Amino acid sequence: MSLPRDFVRAIEAALPGDAIIREREQLLTYECDGLTGHRALPSLVVLPQGTAQVQAVVRACAAHGIPFVARGAGTGLSGGALPVAGGIVISLTRMKRVLEIDWASGRIVVEPGITNLAVTEAVAAEGFYYAPDPSSQQVCTIGGNVAENSGGAHCLKHGVTVNHVTGLELVLPDGELVELGGKGLDPAGLDLLGVVVGSEGTLGIATRVTLRILRRPEAVLTLLAGFPTTEAAGRAVSDVIAAGILPSAIEMMDALTIEAAEAAVQANYPAGVGAVLIVELDGVAAQVEEDRARVEEICRACGAGELRAAADEADRARLWRGRKAAFAAMGRVSPSYYVQDGVVPRTKLPLILRRIAELEAEYGLRVGNVFHAGDGNLHPLVCYDHRVPGEFERAREVAEKILFACVEAGGSITGEHGVGVDKACSMPLLFGEHDLAAMNRVRRAFDPASLANPGKVLPTPRLCGEVPGPYRAHPIEVAGLGERL
Amino acid sequence: MSAAPPAPASVRPGTLEEAAGALRAAGAAGRTVSIGRDGGDVILSTAGLTRILEHEPGDLIVIVEAGIRLSALDAQLAAHGQLLALDPPGDPTVGACLAANLSGPRRHRYGAPRDLVLGATLVLADGTVASSGGKVVKNVAGFDLAKLVCGSEGRLGLIARVCLRLHPRPAAARTVVVPLQDSAHAACLASAVLRSTLAPSAVDVHWPGRLALLFEGSARAVADQVATAGALLGAVEAGSDVWSEAGGRQLAARGRVSFAPGELAALLDAWPRAVVRAGAGAAYVPDPVADARPAGVRVLEERIREQLDPQGVFA
Repeated sequence: MSLPRDFVRAIEAALPGDAIIREREQLLTYECDGLTGHRALPSLVVLPQGTAQVQAVVRACAAHGIPFVARGAGTGLSGGALPVAGGIVISLTRMKRVLEIDWASGRIVVEPGITNLAVTEAVAAEGFYYAPDPSSQQVCTIGGNVAENSGGAHCLKHGVTVNHVTGLELVLPDGELVELGGKGLDPAGLDLLGVVVGSEGTLGIATRVTLRILRRPEAVLTLLAGFPTTEAAGRAVSDVIAAGILPSAIEMMDALTIEAAEAAVQANYPAGVGAVLIVELDGVAAQVEEDRARVEEICRACGAGELRAAADEADRARLWRGRKAAFAAMGRVSPSYYVQDGVVPRTKLPLILRRIAELEAEYGLRVGNVFHAGDGNLHPLVCYDHRVPGEFERAREVAEKILFACVEAGGSITGEHGVGVDKACSMPLLFGEHDLAAMNRVRRAFDPASLANPGKVLPTPRLCGEVPGPYRAHPIEVAGLGERL
Repeated sequence: MSAAPPAPASVRPGTLEEAAGALRAAGAAGRTVSIGRDGGDVILSTAGLTRILEHEPGDLIVIVEAGIRLSALDAQLAAHGQLLALDPPGDPTVGACLAANLSGPRRHRYGAPRDLVLGATLVLADGTVASSGGKVVKNVAGFDLAKLVCGSEGRLGLIARVCLRLHPRPAAARTVVVPLQDSAHAACLASAVLRSTLAPSAVDVHWPGRLALLFEGSARAVADQVATAGALLGAVEAGSDVWSEAGGRQLAARGRVSFAPGELAALLDAWPRAVVRAGAGAAYVPDPVADARPAGVRVLEERIREQLDPQGVFA
């Protein structure tokens, strides 16, 4: 779709030539994010440098009614950065500077295009780190983390992105600039940071982000426990939480994902087990030591055979490498796989794992389970062969049924990957008409013209193929598989 | 002679539906409503909304009606060895904690209401009941209205039900203090704590007077940290009355300041008395302070309010 000539002139006036991409071959890079099944070619991609350029671009979009999609590294898994027809993509990857490290305040101020890991690297020498650590942390950007409210393995104890962002400079969808928060906490008024973080680029574009940095703990201990079944491992997770222990991370991998990870990175996981747990404890040394004894006791009581602690930093890094490489490693055991992201209350882990096993048997498809068990955040990987006709559709069905089981168990349709386009039509599983309407009103307060990442997060008739009205049935409801909460 | 203004009516709904009905009625009659305080033609009390709807100890979550007081909730949670890690002074309701963004010394470790709320059900000015979030600790589905209403002072909607994240009750808790000479001394000590590997639940400056730290956890871990704090800062052990005294001062404070923690000395120089959360960068001061929100933020807040309460029912 071609853009109005006046609009293109405004963009050309605002940005240097090398910051505008319009060749089809180059535009293809931006046609999807990590959710590669959804693709759309943007009309134009811009790579602004600095807040003023972002503002100028957004102002031009507002003046001409052109929708825009902000994008970081494009690692998102819900299509949040999927271009919008007739719109442009604003890539923030050229804005990746550290602007300030305020050691005395425990804050770092960065541009949105910096990678998550680069933030920790910037403060590591002084013994600090940035806590949220999504598995894609080597490439994903802070701007993307802010948009998605990204989590990671260690958010069980230390919280997700929203708990670590203290300030944002935000370009609103009309091009105006607002400063939300700062270095201090508890500013007067509404918690605007709380609603902007995780709004998936629909409320504006963050051009500067102030983050909390934490002191590295005195002690870190990583335990690896092998269990006969995922159910036994799931029970251990529940028991650890119920015992009042708060590890920094509890991760689970099942036999299939262990096999894949071992093949990829030789993480040295025990052979022949049904599941492993990686339990990490951090804090003051005496507490870590005591918690370790109790965690080991609970794991043994739940049937753990092999139980060992990482011997040193290299060993610890190896254990985590296996976990963090698990998604990519699945390519070694299956030609294709479908990544799901769902959440259940922690006590429902054994239940949901049984349900997943039933679905595997029913559909004859393997499902790899690798997930943040401590907070009930599942990432089932449904394996299929894209060359076999119909298998993709069946894999999707399994993934959808897992999601439905999560909701039925009192959980959520996404713990960290976001709604994006992928799950916008599943929102009615969790939220009723009035809930979605209230969210939409907040969106309108920020973006009355619906230009910022339209079609994401909230279901629309165009996207979901149904007429808006007092009641919209979700396909799962229609199929008689469930009812509205 | 002008007539005295009519006394405000009061309404005390016992259910969500009654609350919605009261708001619809007020809106239809063109009357304004204030929640739990003066200011509106109608004062809506949440004293009839105090039930604990769900407590799942294994999931460390609780769902309550927002009129419940922290002390009543704590009685239930204590029986399960758990706590809601919010310790503002004065035993407010859960709804007030959110609406006024109330927290206490433990804010340092556990955060503010916005960090502990997992979901909320609001009754909007037109009587619509709208929920967001859920009852799991990790959830990014939809806009987080439960956080948005934190600090809303009852002007976006009635916070009716809240799902909160809980924490295990620590086995031991001990307090240490260091008497402060001046603001530079305070800043130096606070910085030493924040750059150490100590893991305190609270890092307060009670100004003028002392730096106070709270350590919680297993008895041995707490004892170790008390010893380390003694060696590092010259801190000596004190009783828990340190916290109740500071709580009284916080309760009496009429102003709140958000500041960069690195600028603690300047904050203390500017205020002769203050209760300061040194790590968070939040201070309670005796006098009202000017609204520090940038104009753009106030405009944005007003737009959100107009969207959710176009008639201006909430006073």
